[in-house]
Amino acid sequence: MKLSKITIGGIIGIVILAFWIFMAIFGSMLTPYTHVEMDLVQKMAAPSASHILGTDQLGRDIFSRIIIGSRSVLTVSVTAALFSTFLGILVGFSAGYFGGKTDEIIMRFMDILLSMPALVLAMVVVGIMEGTSILTLTLVISIVFTPRTARVARSALLTWKDLEFVDAAKIRGESHLYIMFMEIMPNALGPIIVEATARIAYSVMTVSALGFLGIGLQPPTPDWGMMVSENKSIIISAPWAVLAPTIAIASLVIGVSLLADLIQRRLINE
Amino acid sequence: MNKPILEIRDLSVEYNASEESVLALNKVNINLYPREILGIVGESGCGKSTLAYGVMNYLGKNALISGAINFGGENLLDKSDREMDHFRGNKIAIINQNPFTSLNPSLKLGKQLAEVAVFHRKMKYKDAMELSRDMLISLNLPDPDSILRRYPHEISGGMQQRICIAMGLMCQPSILIMDEPTTALDVTTEVVILDLCRNLVKQFDTAIIYISHDLGIISSISDRIAVMYRGEIAELAEKDELFSNPQHPYTKALINCIPRHGVTKDQKKLATIPGYITNRNKHDESCPFLERCKYSSSEGCINNYGMQEIIQGHWTACSKVSIAENEVILDKPEPRIIGKQDEVPLLNVENLTKIFPSRSKKYIAVDDISFHVNRNRVFGIVGESGCGKSTTALCIEGLLETNGGRIEYKGEDITKTWQKRSGNVLKEIQMVFQDPARSLNPFYTVEQIIGRPIKVLRGIKSKIDRRKIIIELLHKVGLSEQYINKKTSQMSGGERQRVAIARVFALKPDLVICDEPTSALDVSVQAAVLNLLVELQQETDEISYIFISHDLHVVNYISDFVMIMYLGKICEFGRTAEVFSPPYHPYTEALLSAVPEVGGGSKKSLIRLEGSVPVPDGTITGCHFHTRCPRKIGNICEREIPPKVNLTDTHYIHCHLPNEKLEKMESVF
Repeated sequence: MKLSKITIGGIIGIVILAFWIFMAIFGSMLTPYTHVEMDLVQKMAAPSASHILGTDQLGRDIFSRIIIGSRSVLTVSVTAALFSTFLGILVGFSAGYFGGKTDEIIMRFMDILLSMPALVLAMVVVGIMEGTSILTLTLVISIVFTPRTARVARSALLTWKDLEFVDAAKIRGESHLYIMFMEIMPNALGPIIVEATARIAYSVMTVSALGFLGIGLQPPTPDWGMMVSENKSIIISAPWAVLAPTIAIASLVIGVSLLADLIQRRLINE
Repeated sequence: MNKPILEIRDLSVEYNASEESVLALNKVNINLYPREILGIVGESGCGKSTLAYGVMNYLGKNALISGAINFGGENLLDKSDREMDHFRGNKIAIINQNPFTSLNPSLKLGKQLAEVAVFHRKMKYKDAMELSRDMLISLNLPDPDSILRRYPHEISGGMQQRICIAMGLMCQPSILIMDEPTTALDVTTEVVILDLCRNLVKQFDTAIIYISHDLGIISSISDRIAVMYRGEIAELAEKDELFSNPQHPYTKALINCIPRHGVTKDQKKLATIPGYITNRNKHDESCPFLERCKYSSSEGCINNYGMQEIIQGHWTACSKVSIAENEVILDKPEPRIIGKQDEVPLLNVENLTKIFPSRSKKYIAVDDISFHVNRNRVFGIVGESGCGKSTTALCIEGLLETNGGRIEYKGEDITKTWQKRSGNVLKEIQMVFQDPARSLNPFYTVEQIIGRPIKVLRGIKSKIDRRKIIIELLHKVGLSEQYINKKTSQMSGGERQRVAIARVFALKPDLVICDEPTSALDVSVQAAVLNLLVELQQETDEISYIFISHDLHVVNYISDFVMIMYLGKICEFGRTAEVFSPPYHPYTEALLSAVPEVGGGSKKSLIRLEGSVPVPDGTITGCHFHTRCPRKIGNICEREIPPKVNLTDTHYIHCHLPNEKLEKMESVF
């Protein structure tokens, strides 16, 4: 990668993402508190030397909670983005490659999923699954995002499918799987990677939204969305308790989006 | 000579790309005189199109232009974009290669035409419409009123190009620039457009700059010809002078590398130009042709080249005019000696039919054809786009399912798709595709591209063994072993096609289908690829080609047998010499007479195909060609399918023409 092609936005994105990854791994060393420890003397304390980002209603250290929260949000969103991309490639490639009726059936089914708002669909699936763990949440988000990644994968495949090197592979008797994954996929990966990166940002938002609605990760896991919702009643007296998780969510989404932009520029718009 | 209407003086154009700057034009000087057709010819990347758009002062923002373009006493390069609006489309019009992308698909043709006059000549819409109608009439377009009401996709490609020309002429420009206007069209349409150009000069007093990579077209249309190479004019002369007395080594090489005057592979090897065009750097002051020139010497070519007039009106950039090696002497071909080996059939196609379903109707791409391909022979298939030649190839290759008929290879029925064919059949029947940029996977290196089929179909598992074979193959196709780790994006078109050929020969095939293997390549590269194919065949001595092409010179050069197709049917079949000489099928006659001959005089009989091409949906009765046939004899052509008429043992046509008419036909090739 040539350095001249890296934009300022891209650098900011990489820095933000690196910051959160660092925090998720080493952040707990920087704070003496755990995320559940309650300091009943210092409830709703303003940011200070002892509590960098202040405390919430129950006197829990917000900085510690954000750090622990970053672990779940990063894990869930990155895994969900990867898994939905994987499912999307499977679905989109089979639809696009075989075409005709197969394509129609698969893609119309995807359209039905797509027609429901992501959040509503996620709520329904969460409802069916009963109780949310990191695993179920990841699965839910992956399923919700699959129609979108499938469309991108399908259109990426279609740009290459009719080229003659595919015919050349056929007339030496390669299998459909080889043609799809060894001949077409390496070339079609660009837009799929871009979409996968963008999906991380969407996952962060979906995880937080579900947390805010109380159907995301359950306590004691300190989910960022849940933190916003817990503290929304004290937004006037202790605004930091809401602001800190909000800024955390926003910065992570922006950081990942900027990275996605950079990747798009590098892989597609060259 | 009279005063020029356009003077291009020291025109240089430099493109600033991200890494390096490229000199696209270097000090080009040329005049255009009134009522003249100036042909500009050169291979891709020579700066022909940059010159065309430079004249319009219409180049990208990263182009640095210097020099002067004097038109009507003004220098167009001093004009702002707003001022240029007065000239573009109004005084100077341009016509592009692809008419379909030049026309707006969502506007009716009438509106698009009228817009030009409304904008430039401030006409009322109604008057402009009237003018559009008159313009179509003067360009001989049938039924102008209905055309004006149609959308671009509702008319044929040749018609679209004529609409583009009409659009260019709406303001009666004094200069018309045509940038490869017939490259996307069939030969029989091409001649009609060329006729039209000649008439424009007489009818509208327009001067034309005609740009093409095809020497044949340039030689048939132009009064004067400029040969361009790497952004400079190499040679400039009157047409006849240029072809009878070419001076510049590039001009000579270019003329020599085209199969002309019916030359065939048995008579001579085509001349080639080694190397390929590279980008020119602005600090490079030597002769642009230096690297590929066989007469290059150290000093003269570096600083002592430049345009000089050797005879009145004949300019050349090469100072070595004394080199009298005149290879361009128009050598008359000897009568062809037909090989004495036995004809052993390899592939038998019987009653092959392929129907594509389209919305309400069907499209019969290949309509019940039978033929056979013999061992160790080249079987040419010729026809215009849509005649079914590629479909036939794809059926034989098993890439398309057939709708009827039987394909037999070495006695084995292979009328099935690739999934169901045995490894042996897959290995022995191979294909070279038209565009190597599309037929080679850009993700892999040459080693992986050639190695994969060797592993899959020849079962050679060891990487080292494969590498040995690959290196040997690369040498065979004229590439060094350094290419083994390259990806195709780092190669030129000719090198890529060599890799594609190496991939095919890696399998030691018995039948190779070549679908327009040279039409995406420059002529100098085409010659090298044709030579290579011939050599490989002679070397192995057990290989047959099915060679599909729209270029009749190329087919004549390489083929032993030729089949002419029209709308899914066979018109004529025979040994090449038999097909290319009378008696002909009327369609063959029209095709042959449409082929522009390089440097040749005017053709004796010029046949123009009028009439529309019907859609082969099963409703055509009689002979498929009857709607356009210039030799139609009457109702019988519309009613009855023409019988197979055997002219010799190996030569037959499908036509109703009586014997005495066939015998009177004159040679047109």
